[in-house]
Amino acid sequence: MRALRSLTPFARRLALSAFALWCMFPIYWLAMMSLKTQVDAMARRPKFLFAPILDNYLTVLSDPAIWTYFANSAIVALASTALALLIGLPAAYVLARYRFRANADYGFWILTTRMTPPVAVLIPFFVMYVKTGLIGTHAGLIVAHVAINLSIVVWLMKGFFEDLPGELEEAAAIDGATYFQAFAHICLPVVLPGIAAVAILAFLFSWNEFLFALVLGGNDVRTVPLGLYAFVGYQQVRWGELSAASIVLLVPVLLFVLIFQKQLIRGLTMGAVK
Amino acid sequence: MDARTRFIILMLTPATVLLLGLTIFPFIASVAMSLSNYSMVTPDSLAFAGLQNYFKLLQAEEFWTALRATALFTVLAVAIQLALGVAIATFLHHETRAVPLLRAIYLLPMAITPVAAVFTFRMMLNPSLGVFNYLLKLVGLPPQDWLGTPAMAMTSLLIVDTWQWAPFILLIAAGGLAAMDEEPLQAARMDGATEAQVFFHHTLPALLPYLGVAIVFRAIDAFKTFDIIFVLTGGGPGVATRTLNLLAYKHGIEFLSMGYAAAIAIVMLAITIIAAQVFLRRMRMFVPRAAL
Repeated sequence: MRALRSLTPFARRLALSAFALWCMFPIYWLAMMSLKTQVDAMARRPKFLFAPILDNYLTVLSDPAIWTYFANSAIVALASTALALLIGLPAAYVLARYRFRANADYGFWILTTRMTPPVAVLIPFFVMYVKTGLIGTHAGLIVAHVAINLSIVVWLMKGFFEDLPGELEEAAAIDGATYFQAFAHICLPVVLPGIAAVAILAFLFSWNEFLFALVLGGNDVRTVPLGLYAFVGYQQVRWGELSAASIVLLVPVLLFVLIFQKQLIRGLTMGAVK
Repeated sequence: MDARTRFIILMLTPATVLLLGLTIFPFIASVAMSLSNYSMVTPDSLAFAGLQNYFKLLQAEEFWTALRATALFTVLAVAIQLALGVAIATFLHHETRAVPLLRAIYLLPMAITPVAAVFTFRMMLNPSLGVFNYLLKLVGLPPQDWLGTPAMAMTSLLIVDTWQWAPFILLIAAGGLAAMDEEPLQAARMDGATEAQVFFHHTLPALLPYLGVAIVFRAIDAFKTFDIIFVLTGGGPGVATRTLNLLAYKHGIEFLSMGYAAAIAIVMLAITIIAAQVFLRRMRMFVPRAAL
């Protein structure tokens, strides 16, 4: 029995390390591929040791298109995240803190936006966008991504608001604050870490979204996932360049996540500090 | 109307406007299309078709094949990711060393663009050039045709999806664990409960509300997964991994028969809504906990 006890921390660390390796390996492999020549990349025996080259990066970075993909993704992801928060936060607050008849139904209605199969939304959107000239514009894609992200903003933020003590609003009411002031000045600041966490998730969902960007953005507003898909080409996959482009386009997101990971974890563990 | 009601309505207005424009309109348009023979190839012969698309769909072999593939993928993906995510979150909760580093590493798969991740896996899963088979050979196991047989193709999809999304469950489970009241756990341990008993009788039930949201979102997203399947198997070999979403994409965007594609989408929506309603009611997730 005692032998088992002393084994447990070791087994636990083994599992944690194995999972970390598993999470890192594909990204490590991608980085390796980006430094290989086409010959090394296609070697019958995958090469762990090889002479690294930077040619793939030079080719990719000298192509102005990659900066366009990057700018498109940044504009769409930032704007749609901000809008989703602006629209979603008030709704989440009311759904979490106020009892009214349609509360549950309204919450479910928001959730159905995520359930709707993309094709059911895409085809009407496509027709509507062609008619209004929104097709292939940033604004059109931003609106579509707000619709995709609204549900996750509302449902996750609802959880954070529910965890706040009821005395917050009572105290605010005694101080003569209006309902809106209680929301904007009292409750919002308290859930700020949660907002940061949700914003990161919404940003990632928008940055990585493929299908709507493919159909609604098309060739005019190519985002990062579409830019990468273009590397596959028609005849042959240029693995080296594809990998280099993936790494280049991954770097800003990685930096973003690493910088904000504290907020993300703190946001999702808010309950602990209440 | 009193101030409280007015406040509730005002706070919900922006979301309502967006939802009306972006969900009600496409929904009505989809239902209307599903009842027509609308095709962008022959837009002039537009006519009301009644439930024809639905009858055709329910009689089509490809629909039932796709439904089976979708159900299999969704159930297995969510179950595997849930087990893995909760297990790793629990281990991490008891760990004291290198926790911030591990957390940062665990976030990586979620940050990478799925298309890039799937291409990487396609390279690694290549039967003759890929590193997976190379590593299998190193440890003396037979190489696999990762994308060549229906069973292996489904397995490969689950591997990629799990790589990318188990961290999502892990993240939310970690949040729930950090927020948990440790006292009942200590009390149970004092009473001589084993770690396994503590986990299944105390930790897991306390985690359920958090996991509920994670499961709902993961199941909905898995049910309509597109990019991973589109890039990794394209629905193949044959139609073995062609899910309902890919089937709808094929008919709608490739063949431009919008009416039939819309019918597939409506059936998918009906399945999701029923499943979600049952699940949410079971989990009692509709009751606001702190109501004013």
